[in-house]
Amino acid sequence: MQREVGSLPLAPALRARLAAAGFQTAQELLETGPCGLSKEIGISKEEALEALQVVRQECHGDAARTAEGLGATRKFTALELLEEEQAQGFIITFCSALDNILGGGVQLTKITEICGAPGVGKTQLCLQLAVDVQIPECFGGVAGEAVFIDTEGSFMIDRVVDIAAACVQHCQLIAEAQQEEDHLKALETFSLESILSHIYYFRCCDYIELLAQVYLLPEFLSEHSKVRLVVIDGIAFPFRHDFEDLSLRTRLLNGLAQQLIIAANDHKSAVVLTNQMTTRIGQSQSTLVPALGESWGHAATVRLVFHWDNSQRLATLYKSPSQKEATIPYHITPHGFRDVQPPAVTQGAEGTEMNPRKRPRREEEKQ
Amino acid sequence: MAAKKLRRAQLSQELCERLNRYQITTCQDFLCLSLLELMKVTGQSYYEVQKLLCKVSRACAPKMQTAYEMKLRKSVNPSSAFLSTTLHNLDRVLHGGVPCGSLTEITSPPGCGKTQFCIMLSVLATLPVSMGGLDGSVIYIDTESAFSAERLIEIAGNKFPTYFDSDEKLFWMTRNIHLYRELTCCSVLKRILSLEEEIISKKVKLIVIDSVASVVRKEFDTKLQGNLAERSNFLTRGASMLKYLAEEFSIPVILTNQITTSLSNGPAIQADLVSPADDLSLSE
Repeated sequence: MQREVGSLPLAPALRARLAAAGFQTAQELLETGPCGLSKEIGISKEEALEALQVVRQECHGDAARTAEGLGATRKFTALELLEEEQAQGFIITFCSALDNILGGGVQLTKITEICGAPGVGKTQLCLQLAVDVQIPECFGGVAGEAVFIDTEGSFMIDRVVDIAAACVQHCQLIAEAQQEEDHLKALETFSLESILSHIYYFRCCDYIELLAQVYLLPEFLSEHSKVRLVVIDGIAFPFRHDFEDLSLRTRLLNGLAQQLIIAANDHKSAVVLTNQMTTRIGQSQSTLVPALGESWGHAATVRLVFHWDNSQRLATLYKSPSQKEATIPYHITPHGFRDVQPPAVTQGAEGTEMNPRKRPRREEEKQ
Repeated sequence: MAAKKLRRAQLSQELCERLNRYQITTCQDFLCLSLLELMKVTGQSYYEVQKLLCKVSRACAPKMQTAYEMKLRKSVNPSSAFLSTTLHNLDRVLHGGVPCGSLTEITSPPGCGKTQFCIMLSVLATLPVSMGGLDGSVIYIDTESAFSAERLIEIAGNKFPTYFDSDEKLFWMTRNIHLYRELTCCSVLKRILSLEEEIISKKVKLIVIDSVASVVRKEFDTKLQGNLAERSNFLTRGASMLKYLAEEFSIPVILTNQITTSLSNGPAIQADLVSPADDLSLSE
């Protein structure tokens, strides 16, 4: 109630007039009433009423916050957070080595950034995650939907069909081996058509469309409450050309990162971004570093760097709040993103992973 | 989309006039400002400004489609998804041929046949659909002056002797191949940016740029300060325009690149020249 007038979210012109008239606290405004206010500062009665409604809403919000202590402010004890984190699912990647170093898979409510040179498999992992997020809970997934924001045009629908078909087949084999009621029931709704219908695709051609889409994201996520994954494939591409003003770029990127963090937390979804690599020319040699500069490195919670070692693809966990740094090899097969070695057989019935393992991409094929 | 004027975003007339006084006329100007700045220029409260932001965003944002709708659309017209190269093994590896709607890069050391391949694809694109072509014109941007019209006729006559049985058919085919000789980066970029209208008016079904690397190599010395940023700027601008054209018109775009030596601590290995080839990489 003792809140200062200058801190209320009113129009600046109105605030200036109130300050000039001598009003200092919200309490004074409410006591004056709309008619008195309109006479004193010379605005219409309707405008005065609107302003008072805004003030009342703000003060009510403040009071609720101080009285109850939860809701709008995100105040938790660490124990509550621990319970929440343990109950939360991960989005598995079908590459058990990668899931292990990430601590179970891609975490919900966190931003994960994947950096890498061209052709190393960033988009493949994104497509794999967009399918894996939809795996039903009885098979170990989070049963969510996916939003795919594409800025580079690298989304190939045929590839998604291949990956989705392989995933459905994998689940069917598990269900056959275990013969449980809920497995078979879940499989009825988990089909190729349903997977494809729950991937929401947006194609943004420049940074303005990307900004607009991220502004509209909270509304979209509230309408589609089952979305558990937001992928932005190519956050760097629209920002790397036509930007003479680098400070504007930094400001826009930071704003983008903040909105994504809010969206991830409010809707309990994972955000995955892919970034490009750029060359940093040093004193004597040049190195490949993630693009968009040093300040962008703070935006993501978890950072994965994909790179080549001769002909083997490697993934390095570069930044994570809870896991240690590690490097693992992975493969891209016709079925999607997979381990190098066949994973430890826990369910027993998979034959699909073993056989049609494409041989790793060799250097000359890359060119 | 970015240059869309605010009055087409369904903002009220007086608001547009007020914003005009601050030189904010397009959606781009509007969305680049922070919330506090917007409150100042529009003179409205926090919540009102958020509603305005949503309104303007809705005017700029792309349309949503589900992956299922994309698949259905593709399956309706399967033959137009690829341009078959008539090299059986290559088509098999590429799952059908050069894909329509995305950029394809061909790279090799000198003398391996990049320009010949481009010329052959140009002939193929002009053939009718029944023979595996795209039944359309070709835009060929040549930066090395390597295109030879005589070779074009020779390839066409020898590869499809039954189809090109008369001179008239050969001339008709050559009339559909539009050649542009551009020798600097600036003119290449200007040409790419002006292609949209040409594609519609001439019913273009294939764009070939031979080669991107030669103009870039001539003009940008990466050892000099600032050149790397400008080179990357030029390449990404060109790439994003080409991607837009490829997707919008569902046509294949072919780019050729050169091989250079990447000097590192170890023995010299061969690698692609243009490192911002993250946008120009072979699809699939």
